[in-house]
Amino acid sequence: MEIIASITVGLLVAIGIWMMLDRGLLRVVLGVIVLGNGVNLAVFVSGRLDGRAAAFVGESGAPALAANPLPQALVLTAIVIGFALFVFALAVLKRSWELHDNVETDRITAVAEEPAPDLAPKPVADGHATPARAAETEGKA
Amino acid sequence: MPTAASKGDDEHVHEAGEGVLTSIGLIALAMLAAPLLTRPLDDRAGWILALAPLSVFAYFVTLVPEVAQGGVITQSVTWVGALGIELAFRLDGLSLLFALLISGIGTLIVLYAGAYLSDHHHLGRFYAYLLGFMAAMLGLVLADDLIVMFVFWELTSVTSFLLISFQHDQAESRRSALQALLITGGGGLALLAGLILLGNVGGSWQFSGLSPALIADHALYPAILALVLLGAFTKSAQVPFHLWLPNAMAAPTPVSAYLHSATMVKAGVYLLARLNPSLSGSMSWSTILITVGATTALVGAVLAIRQTDLKRVLAYTTVTVLGQLTMLLGTNTPYGLQAFAIYLVAHAFYKAALFMAVGSIDHATGTRQISRLGGLLRYMPLTGFAVALAAFSNAGLPPFFGFIAKEFKYAGLIELGMAGWVTTLVMILTNALLLTAAGLVFVRAFLGKEGRYPHTPHEVSLPMWIGPMLLAVGGFVFGAFNNLAEVWLIDAAVQAVSGTAVPVNLYLWGGITPALVASLLTVALGVFFYLRRTRVRRRLSLWRVLWRTSGDMIWDRLLKRVFLFAGGVADRFQHGSLRQHISALVVAIVGFALIGVFASTGEDLAWPEVTNPVNLAALVGCVLAVAGAAAAAVMPGRVALIATLGASGLGLALFFLAARAPDVAITQLMVETLTVIFLALVLRNLPPTRMVGSRKPAAKRFHALIAGAIGLVVSAMMLMTVSQPLPGDIARWYLDNSLPGGHGANVVNVILVDFRALDTLGEILVVGLAALAAAPLLGSGKPGKVAAEGSSDFGSVLLRHGIRPLSALLALISLMLLWRGHNLPGGGFIGGLVAATSAVLLALAFGVNRARAVLRVPPTTVLAVGLALAASAGVIGLLQGQAFLTGGWLFPGGLPLGTPLLFDVGVFFTVLGGVLLMLFRLLERED
Repeated sequence: MEIIASITVGLLVAIGIWMMLDRGLLRVVLGVIVLGNGVNLAVFVSGRLDGRAAAFVGESGAPALAANPLPQALVLTAIVIGFALFVFALAVLKRSWELHDNVETDRITAVAEEPAPDLAPKPVADGHATPARAAETEGKA
Repeated sequence: MPTAASKGDDEHVHEAGEGVLTSIGLIALAMLAAPLLTRPLDDRAGWILALAPLSVFAYFVTLVPEVAQGGVITQSVTWVGALGIELAFRLDGLSLLFALLISGIGTLIVLYAGAYLSDHHHLGRFYAYLLGFMAAMLGLVLADDLIVMFVFWELTSVTSFLLISFQHDQAESRRSALQALLITGGGGLALLAGLILLGNVGGSWQFSGLSPALIADHALYPAILALVLLGAFTKSAQVPFHLWLPNAMAAPTPVSAYLHSATMVKAGVYLLARLNPSLSGSMSWSTILITVGATTALVGAVLAIRQTDLKRVLAYTTVTVLGQLTMLLGTNTPYGLQAFAIYLVAHAFYKAALFMAVGSIDHATGTRQISRLGGLLRYMPLTGFAVALAAFSNAGLPPFFGFIAKEFKYAGLIELGMAGWVTTLVMILTNALLLTAAGLVFVRAFLGKEGRYPHTPHEVSLPMWIGPMLLAVGGFVFGAFNNLAEVWLIDAAVQAVSGTAVPVNLYLWGGITPALVASLLTVALGVFFYLRRTRVRRRLSLWRVLWRTSGDMIWDRLLKRVFLFAGGVADRFQHGSLRQHISALVVAIVGFALIGVFASTGEDLAWPEVTNPVNLAALVGCVLAVAGAAAAAVMPGRVALIATLGASGLGLALFFLAARAPDVAITQLMVETLTVIFLALVLRNLPPTRMVGSRKPAAKRFHALIAGAIGLVVSAMMLMTVSQPLPGDIARWYLDNSLPGGHGANVVNVILVDFRALDTLGEILVVGLAALAAAPLLGSGKPGKVAAEGSSDFGSVLLRHGIRPLSALLALISLMLLWRGHNLPGGGFIGGLVAATSAVLLALAFGVNRARAVLRVPPTTVLAVGLALAASAGVIGLLQGQAFLTGGWLFPGGLPLGTPLLFDVGVFFTVLGGVLLMLFRLLERED
């Protein structure tokens, strides 16, 4: 079982990375979920799969072959955090589509550095000024 | 204030010096109060705020008799015990002299600033910066610990940056502030390195404990000297770092009067004086200090005469004085050191007075241009009188304090012998130019024919003339009754600066000495220069080389280069392509893994030999997880994406269940449900994703290769991990202690809310923050109708009737899960997710408004209450004298109730509030 689980982890990570290399930002965000699932599984499996009973203890003590509870606790919180961060990524995706009509991975940085259409008060003459150039002009003044 | 100070270290505090740290704290407190006081009181707040430095000044005055008799007051509180860093303060003659100047002049400046900037709308901020600087400067001169001194040193740089850039709407202010920060900050870095070397070599981290013998003979002495001098010279604006000081005149005049005459620029000189006993053990100390100091003095004086702006004249004469002070330290002769202490006080008095007066002139006439001023005495008699006294002291005329300073200066140089004579000639020229500058300030501006003013001048108000007047009169009193200064201040200061005992005796008339002759020469030359000032200034303008090298041109070019270089480097790494970033990361990981494979001996590359038998449910889970993810990776349609991704998550949940992890499985299941809901809601408004992967086939192949490689590497890592036996017995410990220690049968839950509760607290904080950050982004756009009446997909009457009881049932179940979680599958995370799902159903079917009404409190409140409950559960442990988050238990009627349960309730509400916050905001914008 460990061998199958290990290969599953590898496959999930591979698929996750593949999705994160996609052209569309949506699949990148979904790739983060898949990658996260793979990593969660990896943490879980590193606790070994020796358990024959869930990690519940009675008055007589823990069962002899109880599952390892520590990775379970780690993975449980990781799932919830992963969810919260996924929603945040999704929110950024939604917003960039609303503001820039664009969800292409490679263009989103360039697009996002332009002033948002609803926020830009007036067209800036030198809109693409790099910090270096801005400082240079300031130095001359 | 460092927190370590509060913990039982009070026994180190020497009773004698409790007020030293308090005095710094008092001014820091005034800094915090400044914006609050200024809001209701406007510029009248200055009168209250001035009480802080005034009381500190009074406190230090009471210490004068003790210090004058050679007493030293110390105070020490452990700060960073592990590194041997102490908040050690030590008040000797030198520190006291500086502390009096800082607090005394500071009081006058606070009053002055209130009137000068009375109509400025950020006066409160200005006071805060000014008092913050004052506290830092006090700490600097009082600190005995090398590192503590450095911390205050840097604080003066930072606060000074804020003060210079106070009028930050002007490009010149911003540029000057940046220049000052870069030069002094760069020097600060060198100083830190120098101080660390010094502490290691000198055998102590306290100035008072440094051993001169150890330092002078050490191989690192040249490095220490170079680094420390770099720090001091940049701070005290010695050539070639003098650029920033005149440019700092972009600050409001009170700042110039305080920082750039009396205090901050003297920090470097103070450091040199402080280290003089420890570092002066070599010829290079004297040579460097005298050469650099004398050069700075001359350059400053020449540049000063050339200026047309009265304030810049004063700025450059300050450079001159700083150079002379450095030079005097270098002489290390009795007269030289006496001159140092006298000149320090004399200059602080007259320069602060002159700066304030120039600010008043600017305020009253609207101009500072020398050519436009004249005959001001009849309009501003009080200011004029003060300026007259200060200018006489500046010019070094008897019986003012400046005269004694000049006499002793010459005497000190002449004591040096041959080299001293050369320096004396340079100084005669320099001081003659200073006298000319003093003439420009008083005679040109206040006497003679009336100038052309933008508006009619008027005498300034009391807070603005009282400062210059007191300081100018002080310069006269100390000169005429010099015994006073000698006994109470100068003697102790000189002893502190000198390594050995030095006889101190101040006098105005010492007979016909070479110093007097030099003094007479100076006055004659100075008067001559003043009378021929037009020609002198024109002549000096011809030295183009000097202007070019001392000007800002080099600085601008240098800065431009640095920015271009930094921009080039940043552009190379921050290229903005996510795919290239990820590719680089993955390639690096795979590369390191391969290095590991090649470096290994082969023993640790094992294939798991003993494995558990294949569990059918787990196998199905794995297959489902991979197949779902693979389908999501290649399918174009939106519905297919959601469905396959959901299937993948369900597969994982199945695996967890089969692996005897019910809590994890339920969490995964609930999160998967909510993920699908969020995805479905957001994807409806996004364009369909027709394309898959990259456009170019080559890129596609490359990406497939990268993904395959990382998959292989991760699989191999996992296989190697599980082929080893599980190290340690942590799991056993948790299993054994869960019931006796945590009173819970569900070990996973007990770990979450008790054993590792601090981790969980951090994690729910992340959940809360992510929700707060995502909510506004999700809630943007046009408001939709789901808010009012629910989603049209839930239009069916039957469905709507079914949802109400279902939602109520889910809510009940969530509470049950929360309650039983400590002993059975469930807990705060799972309960919170189920409760959120129940509310989501309501919101979808009947509208967000309805769901909000049922919930009664907004989700943000739920979130905040959750976090507060979790944190307060930890505080209960703290109150019982145990570590934060230690569980406390009660057993009313045999029912175990403990703070971990309260903590779990906090988790419940945090998760519920976070999810609902995001979801309600999203739904309200849905059509």
